[in-house]
Amino acid sequence: MINSRFVHSSFILLLESQRFESIKRVGLPITSHDILYLWILQEERTIRDRTLLEVRDSDHRIPWKVRFNLGNSSRQIIQCRNSIQGKTLLTDELGYVCERKDLLVNGCCNVNVPSTRQYICKSCLANGCCSIYEYCVSCCLQPDKQPLLEHFLNRAAEGFQNLFTAVEDHFELCLAKCRTSSQSVQHENTYRNPQAKYCYGESPPELLPV
Amino acid sequence: MLLFPVWGSILFCLLTGFLPVVGMEPAGGARSGSEPTPDPDPDPLLSPSASNCSQLTLKLEFSTKVVEHEYIVAFTGYFSARARSHYISSAIRNTRDQDLEWHIVPRENPASDFPSDFELVHIRQASPSSLLTLEDHPYIKRVTPQRKVFRTLKYFPCKFALRGTQSWQSSRPFRRTSLSLGSGFWHATGRHSSRRLLRAIPRQVAQILQADVLWQMGHTGSGVKVAVFDTGLSEKHPHFKNVKERTNWTNEKTLDDGLGHGTFVAGVIASMRECQGFAPDSELHIFRVFTNNQVSYTSWFLDAFNYAILKKIDVLNLSIGGPDFMDHPFVDKVWELTANRVIMVSAIGNDGPLYGTLNNPADQMDVIGVGGIDFEDNIARFSSRGMTTWELPGGYGRVKPDIVTYGSGVRGSGMKEGCRSLSGTSVASPVVAGAVTLLASTVLNRELVNPASMKQALIASARRLPGVNMFEQGHGKLDLIRAYQILNSYRPQASLSPSYIDLTECPYMWPYCSQPIYYGGMPTIVNVTILNGMGVTGRIVDKPIWQPYLPQNGDHIDVAVSYSPVLWPWAGYLAVSISVAKKAASWEGIAQGHVMVTVASPAENDSEVGGELTSTVKLPIKVKIVPTPPRSKRVLWDQYHNLRYPPGYFPRDNLRMKNDPLDWNGDHIHTNFRDMYQHLRSMGYFVEVLGAPITCFDASQYGAFTNTRTECGERRRPDITLSMFLVKAQQWWMPDTGGANVPALNDLISVWGMAFGDGLYEGDFTLADHDMYYASGCSIARFPEDGIVIAKNLKDQGLEVLKQETAVVEGVPILGLYQTPSEGGGRIALYGDSNCIDDSHRQKDCFWLLDALLQYTSYSMTPPSLSHSHSRVAPPAGTDRLLPQRLEGNHLYRYSKVLEAHLGDPKPRPLPACPHLSWAKPQPVNETAPSNLWKHQKLLSVDLDKVALPNVRAYRPQVRPLSPGESGAWDIPGGIMPGHYNQEVGQTIPVFAFLGAMVVLSFFVVQLTKAKNKPKRRKPRVKRPTYLQQQQQTTMGKNPTV
Repeated sequence: MINSRFVHSSFILLLESQRFESIKRVGLPITSHDILYLWILQEERTIRDRTLLEVRDSDHRIPWKVRFNLGNSSRQIIQCRNSIQGKTLLTDELGYVCERKDLLVNGCCNVNVPSTRQYICKSCLANGCCSIYEYCVSCCLQPDKQPLLEHFLNRAAEGFQNLFTAVEDHFELCLAKCRTSSQSVQHENTYRNPQAKYCYGESPPELLPV
Repeated sequence: MLLFPVWGSILFCLLTGFLPVVGMEPAGGARSGSEPTPDPDPDPLLSPSASNCSQLTLKLEFSTKVVEHEYIVAFTGYFSARARSHYISSAIRNTRDQDLEWHIVPRENPASDFPSDFELVHIRQASPSSLLTLEDHPYIKRVTPQRKVFRTLKYFPCKFALRGTQSWQSSRPFRRTSLSLGSGFWHATGRHSSRRLLRAIPRQVAQILQADVLWQMGHTGSGVKVAVFDTGLSEKHPHFKNVKERTNWTNEKTLDDGLGHGTFVAGVIASMRECQGFAPDSELHIFRVFTNNQVSYTSWFLDAFNYAILKKIDVLNLSIGGPDFMDHPFVDKVWELTANRVIMVSAIGNDGPLYGTLNNPADQMDVIGVGGIDFEDNIARFSSRGMTTWELPGGYGRVKPDIVTYGSGVRGSGMKEGCRSLSGTSVASPVVAGAVTLLASTVLNRELVNPASMKQALIASARRLPGVNMFEQGHGKLDLIRAYQILNSYRPQASLSPSYIDLTECPYMWPYCSQPIYYGGMPTIVNVTILNGMGVTGRIVDKPIWQPYLPQNGDHIDVAVSYSPVLWPWAGYLAVSISVAKKAASWEGIAQGHVMVTVASPAENDSEVGGELTSTVKLPIKVKIVPTPPRSKRVLWDQYHNLRYPPGYFPRDNLRMKNDPLDWNGDHIHTNFRDMYQHLRSMGYFVEVLGAPITCFDASQYGAFTNTRTECGERRRPDITLSMFLVKAQQWWMPDTGGANVPALNDLISVWGMAFGDGLYEGDFTLADHDMYYASGCSIARFPEDGIVIAKNLKDQGLEVLKQETAVVEGVPILGLYQTPSEGGGRIALYGDSNCIDDSHRQKDCFWLLDALLQYTSYSMTPPSLSHSHSRVAPPAGTDRLLPQRLEGNHLYRYSKVLEAHLGDPKPRPLPACPHLSWAKPQPVNETAPSNLWKHQKLLSVDLDKVALPNVRAYRPQVRPLSPGESGAWDIPGGIMPGHYNQEVGQTIPVFAFLGAMVVLSFFVVQLTKAKNKPKRRKPRVKRPTYLQQQQQTTMGKNPTV
């Protein structure tokens, strides 16, 4: 026979940890329905929490300070930052995408290789979500994406304040914006759209039915 | 979020402690206890033949008493024997007590030639006041009475122990004010050898690991950015001097730590005073990702991780973990972090000693996964272990944790100020993170430091613990100084983990060493991790080459190798399958050879475009071959049909275990069915694992085929599905099938006229004089009439769950034995509950029944206790009741390997092709392997013997007994307590005056936020911090007795 005290105390602990005082049912053994109920409540709370990360009111704007270097990509550059992480591809700060083997010592893509392309939106959908991170960054670096990005920054949720107020220029913004984030997931452990999860645009990836 | 302590029974061990010294605080709680263990540790080394008695209870007794007239005179520094004698005589002269008779008690041991900082003095009739005047001497620090320590260890065979308990000793420092002794404390353990009994424990973990050697060289972590993802940190904590930034990623509007966990972790890494951390000058970035209720979500982590990448964090500590390696957004993000050169250090989990309990993300190849040990170098009970389970069923798991370090009773910063002690792998993780931060700051060319090179340096320098297998300790215990040496002579290269395959080496290569290989057996798979320090991406050039050693019978084995097409980020796998060649079918002996792998990475600093770095590594292989055992001795374990979480939600077999409702341990003979495996091995059976469909093996070769997941839970009525989960809005989340896939099983056994029913039963009963517990098992609904069926009275658990009513059902058929009628036909045994052979949450084992069933199926021997049991009933015809069906709308086909979705009902999938290994073409060499494979496998180009040792201050010698298997060159500066020699214990072991109360290291798994174990897609991922609340004095838990 299972020890009823054992069951009961676990229930209380559980309740206290959750602060679900309202359903504390002292004296009754825990049932699967109690657990279920707790999980329902918690799920609701999660959904509520998540909304905090989205835009609530237009008054609150994050103090972003991104410097867009519009149209001066012709400037002489000695050293490039690049997207570092790629398995096979890299995007440099001028928006060129190249294979790892075509990266120069200074961190820039070798533009003399035919496969190196600038501002390429390959694999990107109309909603601004791409299946390949490096193309997302390259596409986002297109000078004509500036208004879109500014619009996003002006409406960015409080939850993104840390990230986007620390971003300093167009390249950093695109690196950060294209990464998967809280906007990319449903149920916390699944991508909204596993095929096109890197988004430079404003909207989160299109929600694919499970 | 279920908060759940582990319940266990407690065993008080004897302890006496006298504290008669005047002017001292009385002892704190002089208590000792044992650790509740539902799962005794059947250490293969301790009890190779432990079939029924795999538990030992260790009883430790000790007492101390003051030795009359003997005093320890401690000096302010180290002086020669002559100088000490001179100081004492001059000090005694100063007391002007002419009656004092005194002499120095000689200490005859090798250390007496060296300067010492104490002397043992025999003084007759000393008055307290004269003793005090002795302390006036400028070189005398203090005078304390000598005390004698009595210590005995006793082992008890299991029959004397409480059921399911194994004692686990721990002590904590005595609260003492007048003696510095209090800051060191003695541990005792009898686990491996009594020589390990004695050890001085300096109070600071950083000093134990010799961080002060690096501090003296001017390295303090400066210039390294370290991120702590935890519960936050208060703004003006006195321990920290370089908190660069604090950010909050939770829904609570605070940056402060309301729990103490984050402060502690940050303190272990970077505290600059009191309990010192490793890297006080490092740049601390505090990420608050847990609420004070310890709630956290994947989405919070994703955003915080992005910020860490933007901030170019160098080292990131994650003292969190959970079972969900199928949480793709999280796993991908961790890869992204390491790909951006963030060195990730994570806790392996607190779910030990059960196997199959590794937590994500510590189980990832690119992450440094850290397990916990105590100060006696025993693997901490709580430390998660066993292979990784991502690769099941087709492959075999990788070795994790990577390394282990102190995680039990470690001191770190308190929430507001001061220090406290905590235990858990989330304590061990910041120890490594702090060490890594400190190490990174010692390297001049920081370009060389990356997640792979750091991990390579740590594992190549780690010290292997004796008697512990690699799935518990990884590469061994962190050795900071050796890691420093390796890292500072490091050249970019590839390396392997493990670095060699010796299937004969016990216990390190357990379970491989527990069963030799033979012709016709399922191939043995070893999953090796390739670490590539040359670049974030790499590839294997051409193909790995298998080179058997002809003088060492290498041609008796076949080897097949599969590997990651791209090694990214920083790592990949190399799976080696080993099989016995046909010509060795009746041969017995050892076969050796090696596999050569060449790894290439793009050269980043090469002026030539397209340049590559390459590195070639050798993987020695050594196996033991035996003649193929007879069919009756071979058991095949069906891994292929096991369904588990992740990805699906499959309830545990025992529905009582609501705090841990998901079945996540892999259900493998080397994870949660490990005890069963060891039992079968000890009975002489050879157990193989089938990772492919049933059609892929030759049944004529095996005596038994085990599909163990025979549990109910599949219900036709949705109201009693124990639908524990729901999710979004109105959608119910229901178990995709029961713990066992009853309908599928019924499909399988229906050809013999057998079926399991839809009842769900539990209860205690006695069968053949054995106490048994039926834990959420099902009944046999249909059985051939000439079979043997055993029935018992059990409770209807379905009814209880549904309506909270208790009803006993009489004569529930639970066990059936059947001989198929054809000539030489097989035999079938059914039992409705596998909980009794599963290590997780097992209440009573039934290995005896397994033996009996195997005897029956292999040799047709029916135990009379079963065939003539009073409980035998007529086999149920079962025609009156419907058999269980899958719940409408279940999604089993998504996770099942055999069902597929069609319009309407899921239909069986066409069976996949049986896996085919392409055996590597051998390139025999006339070579001979060195006798010790391990010693020869270190990082290339790093010869430890030639690396200069850092200049360690020589004037603070420390004597510490060596553990077996440990080299002598070990020296710990700092934290030395004066002591004296105890001749009883050993010639070279100084015994410092012992004061101690054993305290139950109350192994409180506060299973915080258990909601981590939530179903795929349905529940938010909730991380839980992996720490144990140590030394909480509420230890009176007990096992739920049923």
